[in-house]
Amino acid sequence: MNWPQIIVTVVTLGSIFGVVTLSLNLQHARGGMINFGIVAYFAVGAYAYAIFTQPAPQGLDQYKFGFGWPWPVALVAAAAAALLFAAITGWPTLRLRGEYLALTTFAFAEVFHSFLLNERRIGNGTVGLANVKRPISDWGPIEEKYVFAGAAALLMIATLLVFRRLLRAPYGRALDAIRDDEVAALAAGKPVQRMRRQVFLISAIPVGIAGGLYAMFTTLAQPSLFTAEVTFIVWIALVLGGERSVYGAVAGTLGLIFFEEVVRAWPFETVRSAQIAASAEHIVTGLLFIAVLRFQPFDRIAERVKATR
Amino acid sequence: MLLKRLGWLRLLAALMAFSLVAAACGDDDDVATDPPAEQTDGEGPPAVEDSSAAGEVTVGVLVPLTGELGEFGAIVADAIEFGVSEINDAGGTQCGMIRTVVADTGGDAETGIREATNMIESEGAVAVLGPTSGVMVALVDLAKREEVVIMSPYAGTITLNELGGDFVYRTVSSDLGDGAASGLWLSSRGYESVAFLIQNEESTISPAEVARGAVETSGIDITDFVVYNPGQPSYQAELTTVLANEPDAIFLAGGQESGVTVIKEAVVGGFDGEWLFTADLAVPEIFDAVGAELINDVAFVEFADADPSLPEFISFEERYDAAGDPFAPNSFDMVTLVALALEASGQCDGAGVNSVIRDVADSDGTLVSTFAEGQAALAAGESINYEGASGPLVFDESGTVSGAYTIQQAQAGEWVNIEFYPASTFDG
Repeated sequence: MNWPQIIVTVVTLGSIFGVVTLSLNLQHARGGMINFGIVAYFAVGAYAYAIFTQPAPQGLDQYKFGFGWPWPVALVAAAAAALLFAAITGWPTLRLRGEYLALTTFAFAEVFHSFLLNERRIGNGTVGLANVKRPISDWGPIEEKYVFAGAAALLMIATLLVFRRLLRAPYGRALDAIRDDEVAALAAGKPVQRMRRQVFLISAIPVGIAGGLYAMFTTLAQPSLFTAEVTFIVWIALVLGGERSVYGAVAGTLGLIFFEEVVRAWPFETVRSAQIAASAEHIVTGLLFIAVLRFQPFDRIAERVKATR
Repeated sequence: MLLKRLGWLRLLAALMAFSLVAAACGDDDDVATDPPAEQTDGEGPPAVEDSSAAGEVTVGVLVPLTGELGEFGAIVADAIEFGVSEINDAGGTQCGMIRTVVADTGGDAETGIREATNMIESEGAVAVLGPTSGVMVALVDLAKREEVVIMSPYAGTITLNELGGDFVYRTVSSDLGDGAASGLWLSSRGYESVAFLIQNEESTISPAEVARGAVETSGIDITDFVVYNPGQPSYQAELTTVLANEPDAIFLAGGQESGVTVIKEAVVGGFDGEWLFTADLAVPEIFDAVGAELINDVAFVEFADADPSLPEFISFEERYDAAGDPFAPNSFDMVTLVALALEASGQCDGAGVNSVIRDVADSDGTLVSTFAEGQAALAAGESINYEGASGPLVFDESGTVSGAYTIQQAQAGEWVNIEFYPASTFDG
């Protein structure tokens, strides 16, 4: 096993998806909102980043906007775009509760995916935007991938810090009250609607930035990267890690990516063995999920850490 | 207690930072101690170290083995395996025997990046062969950064026309070539008006745009250019406007599922002109699915094709049972080219392959069509020109070869060759 490489990939992707899981954790475990369309906010961030850094269209390009701006501006734009998208989608959907909200957010994500597929003037349709700018090219002796992994980890830790701060404040307790009994919270004078909307908006910002980083990582913004599968993976990570703590969300995501990487690190030298492995991977993953859900190791670690405080 | 004082969060941050630093340092050490031409670095598993000591050079095979394109991926991987066995039977390259590492992408770009990174970083692959379009595009940056050659036998995407060239090659022509061939065919049939019905996929839209350009230039009226989404139960809505303009022919660039429905509904709707289909419909099953009587004599199909009269292809067909499978010759050529480049460059890394691959594929030297021939010629101090089973293989600026195309006509329930456009048709 090439552990340094595995660690780099786990830190990079685990942090990017970890940010999304953290936001989902804030929305679901604390805000009581089920968002089955989280991939759309992620995609908005990725596309915004790509559009703002992309050079102007040429040749057979069908997109109309390519601003060629520097990457820091584009990352801010990614955050702003996700925030705007959350404001637009949050306004009609947040009146709903429970599974109705889950269905509506899921529908919004599907509509957005369909929009990306068909509206070629924005994101080049099914072709997508390729060769997305990866700004981190020359950092002297340190290789780019380490800088990139570090940047992703920084974003996740910053998100975690901000969310933890927010949830430890009275604001967090008010949120818990709303989640546990909305009527009682309303009776106690908590602005239920406004707070739900605030949580929805705040949690979209880091997801947008993570989307931008993901576009850098894959150098692509393409509809096929942003299917409902992303939503499900993030939800699985959240469930694996245990919903009630921010650390669980992070541990779940890192654990999931780590498992995938370790499975893939095994070199298969023949076509047949690789074919068998590809089929078996899903079975093993399924069994492992069942085991994790039964024994909840991440949840326990998080609980123990909490207890030692 | 340390945990308590530091806090879980700080511990996590510290762990991450430490692992990153450790990883960075570990890598630097390797750079410093490894001989420059070494193909596997010291971080690999013991098995790799052993094999590199025994003289092996690793080539990654990165194909979709599951998912929509799984069938194609298996054909490509098998043809590469056959190529490798021929190379190793001939004694291997000067860097040692070729060892393959096979991984499945499922057609997913992110998986592709992760698997390719593993192949390069952990297995020391000098080349990664076989990615599909989407994965290939995502790997361009990685290939150039890590100086590893990536090559595809079927990634026709036009995006690579701009990105390809250095470290990025393909032994198949660009989708634009299909468009040019279709355009040429449509322009030569004496139609006055043509309608375009295009499935909303990259691989169908880009060639259709090129064909539209060619058709417009030749003064033919384009009545409609409709891009439709696949997976619908009916395409009446799209067809109503198309048929109302009564085109002489319809250019249908669609998949098998949507294509069949479109053809049936168009004929029922009163269309009696001619058709031109793209490669997806160039299969015999189409006659059963649509009904042969609906398309006999009026339907044509265009697809990229190896020239079956080439001696190199005939010889390949004799050696390899599945030579007729789509992209099998292109895949065989890919791995043979890499091996010849390793042999010719005197270097055992991706940069070495990249530096000579164009010369090996196209020069004034001795014509060769197998690895053994090339090896012998190189040993004799000659320069070589590899003529592949899929064609002459001359890489243009973007690392793409020009292709040959076949037009077939539906006759009495089967596809019959009626026109062949060799690669030279589209030169310049």
